[in-house]
Amino acid sequence: MYMTKRTKWFGFVFVIPFLISFLIFWLTPLLYGIWISLHDFRLSVGNNGFIGLQNYVAILTPTTLYHDVFMNTLKNTLLFIALSVPPLVLISLGLALLIDHLPNRLKTFFRTVFFLSYAISVTAVSALYLWLFGANGGFINNILLKTGLISSAINWTGDQPYAWFVIVVATVWWTVGFNMLLFVNALDEVDVNLYEAADLDGASAWNKFRYITLPDIRNISIFVMITTVIASFNLYGQSLLITRGGPGQSTSSLIMGIHATVFGNNQLGIGSAMALLMGIIMMLITGLQYWASYRNKREETGQRREPKQRLKRALNAGPTNVSQQPATTVEKKERKIT
Amino acid sequence: MKKKRMKSVLLVVITSILAILFLFPLVWMVFTSFKTLSESLSSAGLFPNEWTLENYRAIFSASADSNMLRWTFNTALVTLVGTALVIFVDVLAAYALARLNIPGKKIVLAIVIIALTVPGIVTLFPAFYLFKGVNLLDTYYPLILPYSAGTLGVFLIYNFLRSFPQELEEAAYLDGATQWQVLTKVIFPSIKPVVTTLGVVTFLAIYNDFLWPSLVTNNDEMKTLTLGVATLVQGSNFVNPAAMMASTVVATVPALLIFLWANKYFVKGVTNSGIK
Repeated sequence: MYMTKRTKWFGFVFVIPFLISFLIFWLTPLLYGIWISLHDFRLSVGNNGFIGLQNYVAILTPTTLYHDVFMNTLKNTLLFIALSVPPLVLISLGLALLIDHLPNRLKTFFRTVFFLSYAISVTAVSALYLWLFGANGGFINNILLKTGLISSAINWTGDQPYAWFVIVVATVWWTVGFNMLLFVNALDEVDVNLYEAADLDGASAWNKFRYITLPDIRNISIFVMITTVIASFNLYGQSLLITRGGPGQSTSSLIMGIHATVFGNNQLGIGSAMALLMGIIMMLITGLQYWASYRNKREETGQRREPKQRLKRALNAGPTNVSQQPATTVEKKERKIT
Repeated sequence: MKKKRMKSVLLVVITSILAILFLFPLVWMVFTSFKTLSESLSSAGLFPNEWTLENYRAIFSASADSNMLRWTFNTALVTLVGTALVIFVDVLAAYALARLNIPGKKIVLAIVIIALTVPGIVTLFPAFYLFKGVNLLDTYYPLILPYSAGTLGVFLIYNFLRSFPQELEEAAYLDGATQWQVLTKVIFPSIKPVVTTLGVVTFLAIYNDFLWPSLVTNNDEMKTLTLGVATLVQGSNFVNPAAMMASTVVATVPALLIFLWANKYFVKGVTNSGIK
């Protein structure tokens, strides 16, 4: 580009609004949070002096109140991740595959239908599921009681394992459409010619999925997995409003625990330390997922295939072709590795 | 051929059944909001036996314990100004980073990417305490300004511009256009798809944000619809599903309308960025 030194510096003006905002609302709170976490800091009266890493020690040493709060809510949050991530990834992929096989005119319509609930706020979703699954006067209980399937009302939001069930159903219903949209767009870009060629040669549906579709949506699958884990880590509204953290403290999430420490116990210092620990745990888990997928990819690069070879593989893996292909023994071995 | 046709009919039927299941909670919400209190508590059917507008009248009446009109106004103000601010800040920054050879460019880009990997929770409580310190809780400032510190938009637009040919801009410069003219006449029209996508995502994020507004707002007058619905859910005497659903319908419909309107741009934006 044709620019003098003066215009170079002039260009910097364009970045200034962003930098100011970033400095005030992101960098300052981040550094201030680290600073607060090293002090005996109360929400009401402010700073009571530097105490080094004592807040962290208090959280990580067994038998302190804050240790119990942090560990219990961390455990609950990890359980929620284990319960919610598999359906959020698998159901969204299933819906995307279903939509991908529909006639073009219907694709946009159904994509919108399944994505619709994503536009609703977590508080409205919670209000909705609170009354669908209400213990007294809730819609599901009314139906179950009237049809005689149950004789007394189920306390959906107040008894386990129902409480987790309702939270997970509400979460899946709320956000599965977003993952689905990402998968649908990735499936749109898979080479149609490969499918057609595989069809002509009679490859089975599973083999087409395994050897043509899956390698092409690999990157988006990793992305969906990682962002879904992060989203589930941030569980707050659903368990605050649907179960109020109960029964007991069994659905109380990490963010609820931090919130209670800051506002309930007046401990901004310990709460900030908890938030930083939570951030570090999230970054570690994200890093681990990246590392695991990257390592797999490196193992696979040795056998990365051109489209033609992938097609051949999809066909060879089918039992009907096995005897006709001299190369199948090698192919089968490789299948097991991947 | 006949077999193929059968198969696609079957797929449409399965997808339709799933779609009906999926839409059911929303449909139930709408119909329940027209039921009477006693019916909404005992009903096992979808449609009201006796239609009533009482729930809507109650939540908008002067004596209501909810502040629905004020919350709607707050939400409109916060989401519109907030989204416009994010787009303004992010487009300018991304343009300078992608097109102008500015000093410190690599550092700013590194900041953008590093910030993307840091979870939001670490800045939330200190940011709240900073706003408390300067007496700006229960004002519109914390509900609008902090969203512009997000780096996702800069990252998206920067990437889009990098993959976009520069010839048009260079031709404009040769014809004597100023930098501002290039920005408004050449760049803006070409990045419309990605900006629309960013706009919708930001709008929905601000509209539906719950934790941050709940930290910086105590006063009922300053609540957004999303926060207001939470207040209603947590209110101890609010045990009326019909009225509750009327409130959620009011809180949900604006976002759904915007979403449906933007849906076609959404799909287009994604497709355009995919073609390249």
